[in-house]
Amino acid sequence: MFEKIMKAPNRPALVIALALFAMAAVTYWDASRMAARATYGMNASAASYFVCLFFVVLGLGHVVSAFQAASIEVEDIDMKAIGWVALALAGLIGSIWLGAGFVLGSTLLFAFTARAFGRRALLVDLVIGALMGLVIFLLFNKLLSLALPQGPLERALF
Amino acid sequence: MRNFLKIAIGLAALTGAALQAGASTAGDLELTITAPAGAGGGWDSAARSLQEVMMATGEARSVQVVNVPGAGGTVGLAQFVGSAQGSSDQLLVAGITLVGASISNASPVDLTQVTPIARLTGDPLVIVVPKDSPIKSIEELLAAVKKDVATTIWVGGSAGGADHILAALVTKAAGADPSKINYVAYSGGGEALAAMLGGQATAGVSGYGEWEGQIKSGDLRALAISYPEPIDGIEAKPLKVQGLDIELVNWRGIFAGPNVEGKDLEALKAAVDNTVKSQQWKDLIKARGWSDYYAPADEFKGFIASETDRVRTILTSIGLAK
Amino acid sequence: MDAINFLIHGFALAIQPSNLIFAAIGVFIGTAVGVLPGIGPALTVALLLPVTFKLDPGGSLIMFAGIYYGGMYGGSTTAILLNTPGESAAVVTALEGNKMARAGRGGPALATAAIGSFVAALIATVGLAFVAPFLVKVAVKFAPWDYFGLMLIAFVTVSATFGSSPLRGLTSLAFGLWLGLMGLDQLTGQARLTFGVPQLLDGVEVTTLAVGLFAIGEALYVAGRHLFKPEKPIPVKGSIWMTKEDWSRSWKPWLRGTAVGFPIGALPAGGAEIPTFLSYTMERKLSRKPEEFGSGAIEGVAGPEAANNASAAGTLVPLLTLGLPTSATAAVMLAGFQQYNIQPGPLLFAQHADLVWGLVASLFIANVMLLVLNLPLVGLWVRLLAIPLPWLYGGILVFAAMGTIAANPSVVELLLLVGFGVVGFLMRRYDYPVAPAVVGLILGPLADNALRRSLQMSLGDPTVFLKHPSSAIMIAIAAIALVLPFLFKGLAKFRQDED
Repeated sequence: MFEKIMKAPNRPALVIALALFAMAAVTYWDASRMAARATYGMNASAASYFVCLFFVVLGLGHVVSAFQAASIEVEDIDMKAIGWVALALAGLIGSIWLGAGFVLGSTLLFAFTARAFGRRALLVDLVIGALMGLVIFLLFNKLLSLALPQGPLERALF
Repeated sequence: MRNFLKIAIGLAALTGAALQAGASTAGDLELTITAPAGAGGGWDSAARSLQEVMMATGEARSVQVVNVPGAGGTVGLAQFVGSAQGSSDQLLVAGITLVGASISNASPVDLTQVTPIARLTGDPLVIVVPKDSPIKSIEELLAAVKKDVATTIWVGGSAGGADHILAALVTKAAGADPSKINYVAYSGGGEALAAMLGGQATAGVSGYGEWEGQIKSGDLRALAISYPEPIDGIEAKPLKVQGLDIELVNWRGIFAGPNVEGKDLEALKAAVDNTVKSQQWKDLIKARGWSDYYAPADEFKGFIASETDRVRTILTSIGLAK
Repeated sequence: MDAINFLIHGFALAIQPSNLIFAAIGVFIGTAVGVLPGIGPALTVALLLPVTFKLDPGGSLIMFAGIYYGGMYGGSTTAILLNTPGESAAVVTALEGNKMARAGRGGPALATAAIGSFVAALIATVGLAFVAPFLVKVAVKFAPWDYFGLMLIAFVTVSATFGSSPLRGLTSLAFGLWLGLMGLDQLTGQARLTFGVPQLLDGVEVTTLAVGLFAIGEALYVAGRHLFKPEKPIPVKGSIWMTKEDWSRSWKPWLRGTAVGFPIGALPAGGAEIPTFLSYTMERKLSRKPEEFGSGAIEGVAGPEAANNASAAGTLVPLLTLGLPTSATAAVMLAGFQQYNIQPGPLLFAQHADLVWGLVASLFIANVMLLVLNLPLVGLWVRLLAIPLPWLYGGILVFAAMGTIAANPSVVELLLLVGFGVVGFLMRRYDYPVAPAVVGLILGPLADNALRRSLQMSLGDPTVFLKHPSSAIMIAIAAIALVLPFLFKGLAKFRQDED
């Protein structure tokens, strides 16, 4: 049994309702801080207030639906796989952030994502990822003269 | 077609010559030019043009263009100020829009913090009215503004940009309150053009080049350009010639990082100056339809300071800066 | 007729071997690039601009035309096969197209997209050649109040993408609208919801949201379910080619999509996305099998794809006749014209007739080349699904990241991309449709700007929308479209009660 029926009150719906109210509050705060500057017609804050109101209505809708007998099926989830994809994305962002370059970033991204889908040959995937990153990097840098982020590796090679 | 062939042959010859020159006298500089905008825009093409000519004339051995788009250039400027501190091999392309964006975004960095190398090009702005508008001259436009500033609808590029600034200067010159100007901002000269042709606006402001076709075909009536002197091939007279003390040039220039001094600075200045004085550069800006607006580093430095003050004053008067 | 003579002359120019080669290169690059998620035709053309500076203007523009049409074709491929639209105009295609691909009908879906694109581009290019000067006169009359009316109609049609629950659909839409607020307001230069982060001042890129929600969200979702419900996409089930029924269900949507796409594409602020929403809604309403929508209806691929490509040709109308670029790609093509000192605009047809007609003729040729290139590729593309899942998703993520980094190499942009990926994952998990969020981000700012520009021009008088017949009619259509389904539902219920 990998699926379970949610019992009322529906917790995800309540959480989303809370998130919507929070976003409405942030939007309201942001809009109220804007200095009114349109000389004619409507201010830029009008759209913010509209979206804010929209959020509140939807939030109320979620509260109501949370207490209705709902049967949303929420599947179980493989947190380990999600964790690997998260690690893959973190590897990419980290290597761009720390200036380690595009090739390393895409290597980690490719290999860890493959790992998330059950591949065990991490080393092979690292090599594939590195080759792919290298080809893309060369294509952009040499052919299109667009500089993708460079790290020590890219600088040493070119 | 003959014209194109001519251009094509000219270009081919130019590249050929350029390659030869590049092979014989390669300089030692390996430069990175930051264009604080996405690929394809004005600053990007200025940066890539410089790249092309600097490598062709041999003023630099290699030049790389890095695009850092965002917030009218202030994102790229902030990054440049951080990374090019005292650097002997980094340059930045920027222009008047960046002066305005730093002020209206209340950015912590502005162009006075980097080292001016040279002013390169400057394009005139043009003030137009639709072809069947009752307004025939700049005086009549001023009269209309003075009579009712609210119903005189201006269209042009983004809020706080050069177009908006010129419209505000004209409103002020007409004796009306610039904070009451009814300026409808569009994402660029293109969309504003549609509003002009559709007859939804009283007057419009844009770079002359963007609306040249409609001005020449008679769909728009050009009342004045914002350049200080008359320009060959442009019929509209400068505002200055028509008795208004207003000039505004959409200039672009090149900068080095903060605290670049001594030999490093001299080398960069020399490389840029030689590039700009080359025939290749003259041909290239002609082909792109840009106007030469060269000024050397010292003059450019004073210019940046005065432009920053001037833009701040006018943006404050229209309520876009504090 | 003069135009026909010019066109024949243009064909003579375009079938010169060198120009044919340029067209072929352009078509090939365009398709290749369009297939990659996140890297659109605009970026490619921009980057190729300096390279082509060395070519003659005719040749390089012909190549750009090939890239432009090719990019529009290619965007649908990943949308259909991998639920990963390559660009925002292919978001709608993913809705039905991916459902078809999952059921092993990827072949027919790709084929109807390719042929529909061909038909649409063919008709629209004829339109470009013969009605452009007339159409553009109408298009510039489109004032802010008219745009507002059009946006209202588009908003009403969004409900077609909501799926099972209006509450969840609206929530997704609201999320998109909220993202649309972010950045500098175009009219006043005021920052909204930027929280002091300068990188947010330019707002949220539609491609970043679409790639995040679709590509990364999908990868997370599939990874999370992989262990329990291994989902192996079926490359082919039944014929890889379109059946007779597929043909008979496709041809009308192609034509209707073209009819919607071309004029809206020609509007100075029309864009390619809105016609795809409109076409999708229309096909859903007109389909003989509306129950298939949501589980892979071929009309839902045929119509929007035709609309997408027709609007791509429509975009060239204001570009060539006014020098007015209405899409990122068109803006770059304008720069391409200018680098040869050619100013598109009212005088272009008169001054550079041979170039313009050469370009129009090349568009025809590029279009034929695309069909020739793409139909045999259908079989190959479908094989993409045979790549082992670990590599397939690893590759998708690398390409998605590449597109984002190439367009804007900033960590903030990457964080946004990943953030949207997480949101996309949660939305899939709790059964919220993702397409309305993208629609909200596209339409929200357009509607906001149109509304406030109208009120600024009328000095705050709200009757401006009713004073102009054109906008009044569009607002009425939107209102009727909004109310009518409820009326019908009420009537049906009423009848049921009587029974």
